[in-house]
Amino acid sequence: MKLTKDQTKKLGLSIVGFVFLIYVYFTFFLGPLNRSRAIALSKIHDRQSKLDASKEEMSKAAKLEQTARTATERFAALKKLNPEGAPIAWFPPRIKTFFANEQIDKAVARLEGNAALKQDELSGWLKYNWVIDVPQADYAVIGRAIADLENAEPMLCVTRLNIHALPDHPQYQHVELAAANLIEKK
Amino acid sequence: MALHLNLLHEEILEQRQRQRDPLKIGMLVLIGCGVLMFLYYSWNAYRTLEIKSRLGAIERSWAKVEPKVTAAQKRVSELQGIVKATRTLDDYIENRFFWAPLLQKVSRCVAPNTQLISLEGSVDENKGVTVTLEGIAAGREPRAAAEDLRQLLLEQLSQSYSEVKVEFKSLEDLDTMVNLGGTHTPTARYTLALTFNPAPAPKPAPVAPPARQKKRGDT
Repeated sequence: MKLTKDQTKKLGLSIVGFVFLIYVYFTFFLGPLNRSRAIALSKIHDRQSKLDASKEEMSKAAKLEQTARTATERFAALKKLNPEGAPIAWFPPRIKTFFANEQIDKAVARLEGNAALKQDELSGWLKYNWVIDVPQADYAVIGRAIADLENAEPMLCVTRLNIHALPDHPQYQHVELAAANLIEKK
Repeated sequence: MALHLNLLHEEILEQRQRQRDPLKIGMLVLIGCGVLMFLYYSWNAYRTLEIKSRLGAIERSWAKVEPKVTAAQKRVSELQGIVKATRTLDDYIENRFFWAPLLQKVSRCVAPNTQLISLEGSVDENKGVTVTLEGIAAGREPRAAAEDLRQLLLEQLSQSYSEVKVEFKSLEDLDTMVNLGGTHTPTARYTLALTFNPAPAPKPAPVAPPARQKKRGDT
């Protein structure tokens, strides 16, 4: 079959139309549709994995809540050891009362300074350095008082201890304690 | 043979040409393709809509769960922080050096003829505990009395602490005589340096019993 010139022209026109149709179909219809479907699928996958992870996360939180109960109670108890307010306001009177109960009339605590702790987990705590001066005490009494202090104040650590016999009263000693106390930042 | 005359030859030819018109055939093919493509598009659009409705449902359930999950994650990190902080605080509390037992040991070691004048001690995380004792020893041999104190301190401290060192920093005779038990005795002034690690000394590993006792006569 031999095509005439007119027929060849029409055939070419049809092919051009077909190519145009294919282009428009894939570029403006099927392409965007497939893209939006792919995006929706990836979002579904993402959300589904998040939902699955969330179940694990929530069960982990519930388990941790049970296992960490002791730690939580202990942490709350440790926080309760120190009252509210500026430590300079309550620590010296507390020490004075403590030593008075130990039959030591005079004990003066003064703040030397405070510093942040090295450990990241204790970023909410500060180390307060105190100097406790006991001008006159008997060796046995001060020994017992230090033992009681170390037991009563678990957050207090005596870092330096100086005991000197008093020249005028050899039966008494002058005692100076340097102590570090961990106190939560308020 | 009969003769056939086709008088409509031109009309039939035109009709055939019209039927074989490439534009018309092309249009028909285009329409066919278009229909197929439309059907395929519709199928895809239906699937896409279905997926989007699924996504919507998941988004809704995620929106419900998300605040709970965020709160749970926050609680988990908070609890982990509390656990770590409690552990560190407990370590701090347990690793404190207790001075009272040391004072008790020192008081037990000091005999009536070795009076203490001063005690200065400090704790360092890296160096351990350092204590300086200053005192006066009296007796016929005051240096021997001071040495007895040093030996006793070394023995007593070694029971509770490790890496114990008790050394004289100074030991010198004094001209002063003191009355001890009714007799005048010479005195010596001493300064003792005590260093030790507050951790108790590790216990030696128990010796494993021999697997079999050697019988008499065994070779």
